[in-house]
Amino acid sequence: MIDHVEVAWRCSCPSRKLPCKHSLALLLMWARGLVAEQVRPQGVGAWIDARDARSVAGAAAPDADSSSAADSGEPAAGDRNGSGSGDGSSDSTGPPARDDLTQSRDERVARMMAGLVELDRWLEDRMCNGLSDPALARYATWDDLAARLVDARAGALANRVRRLAGLVGAGPDWHSDVLAELAILHLISQAGQRLPELPSALGDAAATASGWQVRQAEVLAGVPDTDDWFVAGRSDTREDRIEVRRLWLYGQHTQSWVMLLSFAAYQQVLDDSFAVGTVVRGDMHRYPGGSLRALAGSREPDPIVLHAPGTLPGFGLTVSGACSHIGRAVAAQPWLDRLAVTVAAAPTFHAGRWVLGDATGALPLLADERSLASLLAASCGTDAVVTVEWTPRGLIPLAVHLADRTLDVGPRADPSFTGARR
Amino acid sequence: MSVEALWRELVTAALLGTNRREPPELPPGPLADVVADAMPPSPAARLLASVGAVAAARRAAFVPLPPAAALQPAIRDARPFCSTPAVASWREVIAEWPVLEDEWLLTVVERGYRLAPDVLVEMLQRHRTDPVRWARVALAGGPLALWITEHVPSLAAASKREPPVDAVTTLPDLAMPPELAELLALDAHTFVGRLLPGFESLQFGASHKAVLVNLLARCRADVLVDTADELGRIGYGLAFAMSDLCRLRHRMLTQLTGVPLA
Repeated sequence: MIDHVEVAWRCSCPSRKLPCKHSLALLLMWARGLVAEQVRPQGVGAWIDARDARSVAGAAAPDADSSSAADSGEPAAGDRNGSGSGDGSSDSTGPPARDDLTQSRDERVARMMAGLVELDRWLEDRMCNGLSDPALARYATWDDLAARLVDARAGALANRVRRLAGLVGAGPDWHSDVLAELAILHLISQAGQRLPELPSALGDAAATASGWQVRQAEVLAGVPDTDDWFVAGRSDTREDRIEVRRLWLYGQHTQSWVMLLSFAAYQQVLDDSFAVGTVVRGDMHRYPGGSLRALAGSREPDPIVLHAPGTLPGFGLTVSGACSHIGRAVAAQPWLDRLAVTVAAAPTFHAGRWVLGDATGALPLLADERSLASLLAASCGTDAVVTVEWTPRGLIPLAVHLADRTLDVGPRADPSFTGARR
Repeated sequence: MSVEALWRELVTAALLGTNRREPPELPPGPLADVVADAMPPSPAARLLASVGAVAAARRAAFVPLPPAAALQPAIRDARPFCSTPAVASWREVIAEWPVLEDEWLLTVVERGYRLAPDVLVEMLQRHRTDPVRWARVALAGGPLALWITEHVPSLAAASKREPPVDAVTTLPDLAMPPELAELLALDAHTFVGRLLPGFESLQFGASHKAVLVNLLARCRADVLVDTADELGRIGYGLAFAMSDLCRLRHRMLTQLTGVPLA
């Protein structure tokens, strides 16, 4: 948000440069006449009113304001009467009061940066002592680190660390898997410490991967992608004590993917408002950085069942085409864990494991028995159009698109854990 | 040196730790440049930077395995899949009134449909310890059922003994007292006239539920709508439940036969 009258700004990004590039860009766009006149959004109105109220209070008690700002010793970015304004007259009330929200955000950024530095130090210690260190086999080693990351407000990294703990000793090649995950942690940590230097989209993505939380209201205030969204697949996974549902939606016109997340603790119900195989016309608000993750905005109430979804443009890639698609996405954000893609390929058994293959190659499948059997039954051993979720360890089949229906074959939450919706 | 060979070398170095062994130098190239740009101050930081660069390259540049030979496909089955609403009804049947499942399955076979792939798998798994029902599923699934059990042996019947053909193709009788069994062949008007007083006078209670369920699961299909309407009007728990059973059975048969029943 920008107040162009008295030049103040407020942004949800974690940048420590004030004003941040988003605020400057918005101001420049306004100066060039690229911001349309419209009714003041509610959030902006509340911000201006709060600033007006503070400004009146500041005028009544200039001494108090003066001392609080002096104590803080911080620039008054975001304050309507503050420095950074080109208007000297606004300094008449003395040094500005610091915006509480900005202060809390700065504290959060500082905490997170400290957490990232500490994480990198911890990773270096692991490199010094080696992966053969018996401490790695103790869950407490990982849990302590995860707890410190939670304290540092880097919850996403803490989740990664907890998942990583499960890889230790999980297979004959676990050292390689653990090292790859430690490498990703290092990359996120490095990117997180250099946010202001990164290109805008990558910086936002790195901030999100580090655990920077964006409020839903802020995501929903962004410009949505409006499209006919085909609900192409669903997967449920248990993460710690939470069941996580990922819904993968494919925009028929934008030919792009979005992912909707929902969560359920014990005996809570997962979101089942999107049925696999249907099309919903509506808005999807992406998280910052062109993220795959989005929030559903307004949408038409009645989804329609899509027949022959295999004929959608951009659907039914070859296996090598899917690898290129995934490779491009991972090159842009190496910490990506999951990505949906739709391939036209047949399941087959090769070298002791199930793979999904065609004439251009094969990729390993990572499916439970029910998913695999449903995939086999739907394909009858021939090519089928399948939406899969790529993970570094293999493909998880989510849905098979037949001529007249879509079969949801993705992993399902344990019904004894999640509550049943009646 | 390939990225994979380089990665294996880094894994070995990371396994031992830099306290015991110096990290390997990356061969000249873009990855080595990335590490040099990071200016790592210690051997551990250098190893970490190398691991990060190589892991990112390895992830982004992954290639598929060589093409694999396709499976021998299942023998083609010309029968159409049962419809999506019929599948939805089956899910409702197994959740609410499993007594109707045999009739659902036999109607699928009788009407010349085959089981949709996801239903086939769920049914094979569900009935693997019941030889008669498993054989019925195999009949409705056709050649695909046998093909799938060859590839996923855990879906095969637990018992190798084949059940009698009659048992597989015939709707099993359900237990009920003679005075209720008499109602099975009656038309809608007479059926409702004979059944309803028992509900209205509260003569039927929870202890009668099992036999009433059996009656309504086997009565003529053309009595279901009237019976459901009349039971729904009575307004107490058991009558509502029986009304629900009648409606589900009616819907299930309409979907599978394609003919709206009376």
